[in-house]
Amino acid sequence: MPDRLGAPAAGGDAAGSTARGPGRVLVAVYGTFALAAGARAAVQLATQFDEAPVAYLLSAFSAVVYVVATVGLARGGRTGRRTAAVACVVELVGVLVVGTLSLADRAAFPDATVWSVYGQGYGFVPLALPVLGLLWLRHLAELDRDAEETAPPSPA
Amino acid sequence: MSTPLVALATVVALVVAALGGLSTVLRRRTGLAHLVAAGVLEAVLLVQLVVVLVALAGGERPPETATFLAYLVSVVLVPVAGVLWSRTEPTRWAGTVLAVAALVVSVMVWRLLQLWEATGA
Repeated sequence: MPDRLGAPAAGGDAAGSTARGPGRVLVAVYGTFALAAGARAAVQLATQFDEAPVAYLLSAFSAVVYVVATVGLARGGRTGRRTAAVACVVELVGVLVVGTLSLADRAAFPDATVWSVYGQGYGFVPLALPVLGLLWLRHLAELDRDAEETAPPSPA
Repeated sequence: MSTPLVALATVVALVVAALGGLSTVLRRRTGLAHLVAAGVLEAVLLVQLVVVLVALAGGERPPETATFLAYLVSVVLVPVAGVLWSRTEPTRWAGTVLAVAALVVSVMVWRLLQLWEATGA
């Protein structure tokens, strides 16, 4: 009988990688946000820049951060992970600062950005995403450390 | 655009998402069931695309036309991207990737409807 629900999966749950396994899901969500924020910023900047320059430039900035995080996570490796970690931190700070400002000073944000009201317009995913990203990156770093400790000593 | 069609797309998308989640729980990759369900979803989205194109040809215009068209085109591509991605993923997380794509579709179709029904200022 064919496996209608799919063949048994390869291992890789514990694999310390953003290029495979659960890290892939994170990359998928990040990719979606990179696309959504980028498209939104492009439309806003092209058609109505004068109405709310701050909000639209922020949209563009958030799009860039999402792209950097996506690429970093997708590529993995030392550099990729470090890049992703920086992007996640920028994102977290961005969503917290912009979220707070959008509540405190509504006049500066006549139109919504991805980060307004802590990402309310996007189901608060923008708030959760950097936290998940950082937790995942920390998990990977821990796996690496364990692997180094248990690895046999290299021949001299 | 019609609400029943959007509702149908949402239901099918949720089925795809559930199947994806199920294969992750069962430690399996994606299989025929996922392909069929994603195919049905894609078919519903293509029907919606045609319906909208006919309405556009008839002279109807949503106020934010650019945004609307961007959503219209991308929503059709998302299930395709999700399936291709899940087929290349050898771990059990293939299903979750597909589920994410399906959930994105379920949100995008309602946003599309909202953009369509918004009346110009």
